[in-house]
Amino acid sequence: MSNPFADIVWARIDGPAKSWLDRAWPSAEEAQTSVRFRASFAGVTRRLRGVEVTGDDIASLTDAGVIGAADWRIDRVARVALLSQVLVAVSFEEHAAFVRQVYLRGDYKEQAAVLASLSFLPGPERYLDLAIDACRTNVLDVFEGIACDNAYPAAHFPEANFNQMVLKAIFMEVSVGRVAGLAQRATAELSRMATDFGDERRAAGRSVPDDVALIVGLDAA
Amino acid sequence: MKMFDHHIHMTSRTTTDYQNMADAGIVAIIEPAFWLGQPRTHVGSFEDYFLSLVGWERFRARQFGIHHFCTIGLNPKETNNPDVADGVMELLPIYLEKESCVGVGEIGFDDQTPEETRLFEAQMQLAVDFDLPVLIHTPHRDKKAGTIRTIDLVKASGIEPGRVLIDHNNEETLAATLDSGCWAGHSIYPHTKMDEGRMAALVQQYGTERITINSAADWGVSDPLKVPKTVTAMREAGISEGDIKTVVWDNPVAFFGQSGRLDLGDDGGRPSIDQSQLWEGNSVLRGQEAVIEPAE
Repeated sequence: MSNPFADIVWARIDGPAKSWLDRAWPSAEEAQTSVRFRASFAGVTRRLRGVEVTGDDIASLTDAGVIGAADWRIDRVARVALLSQVLVAVSFEEHAAFVRQVYLRGDYKEQAAVLASLSFLPGPERYLDLAIDACRTNVLDVFEGIACDNAYPAAHFPEANFNQMVLKAIFMEVSVGRVAGLAQRATAELSRMATDFGDERRAAGRSVPDDVALIVGLDAA
Repeated sequence: MKMFDHHIHMTSRTTTDYQNMADAGIVAIIEPAFWLGQPRTHVGSFEDYFLSLVGWERFRARQFGIHHFCTIGLNPKETNNPDVADGVMELLPIYLEKESCVGVGEIGFDDQTPEETRLFEAQMQLAVDFDLPVLIHTPHRDKKAGTIRTIDLVKASGIEPGRVLIDHNNEETLAATLDSGCWAGHSIYPHTKMDEGRMAALVQQYGTERITINSAADWGVSDPLKVPKTVTAMREAGISEGDIKTVVWDNPVAFFGQSGRLDLGDDGGRPSIDQSQLWEGNSVLRGQEAVIEPAE
């Protein structure tokens, strides 16, 4: 199966970056040696520094289902490519455990890349626990990785978890306009939670974020 | 004046420290992996610690406009713990690849045992393999002899001495460290190691080449403002602004810049601050007004 992420990376690199990826690219035999894979996954940003994605690449990413592809840099594309590739050699039953370990051992950019990849991995419903757990982060980059421009939550989260994520976005001053599929997942319960939050802010003499009205309005629409 | 504290253990410090450091002119810091004051009983505890150095602690620093980097290594004291030592060594290749890891460290001698020697040597080899500079701790006890042994081990390792910074120097060790071709760090401490006035005297005697200072502040009695306080002492001693800048900025930038990973932004200035990124229960803020400042 063609992997649009891998196609982009291989087309854009040459010189030392290509030599590095030649060595780092997961092979069928050694894919499960996770120390080596994790080191490669960590090194991506440095090893591919200076490599740029093109306008055509952004169009390809968008065609592949990436939301907000214009914000994707080569390190994000390459990490999704690497993760997709390594899973070819990991037994299907082991995928969720393997991806979870890569996530847990990542710095915040690696973690955000794992979260952005979830919709593009085989059997994405198996990553629900990881995606919900990621919403508990206090690091903005990681939270944005799951909550923003990511089709995964709207496609897979139960209502309670989706609502919690949206409310947390307001708390973190992350624009809920960046939550993919929000309009489709808006419910009376989410509207009530947003209304209560607005009341709480007013009672404390604080301003109410504009996104509260936006969410309440979605339910009314 | 823009300052770089290249050895400080912020995991043990508060947000008040971060704020005071930023106010005093500290723009960049390096947090070397080290000992947490009591022995760890699991390899996994080290892994979570390394992860906090490349994750949460970086994020905390950034909220105060401070660039945060780390060095990764197995500290000398815990090389003596067979329950964890070799397991941690196996983890190091993952964390030495991390984007914000600018060196191997802090490694070196504590009690100067055979195990310390074995893993000190092994980590010098990692520095060669990963093309990273090295931050070396020198022992509190039997310091002068330990520093000489350190220099001998560095020479035997085959690494270029200009890629090695030997830390915690004092009047008794500085000449030997400089003669070796290594860089010489000085940890300015409230009661032990080195103080501000003595440091100013050392700069007057030895000049500024390959000389750096840091606070080495941690969970003990220590002071995260020792770099700015030493700047004041150097000024009062009549040392020129150019020489002070060499010691507190140019030198650490040149040394750790050898990693190729010391990304200080386009202008090397303070990163932009946006505390509103997170607030209330989710961030370092607890209900106060978020500070938003552009990059300087």
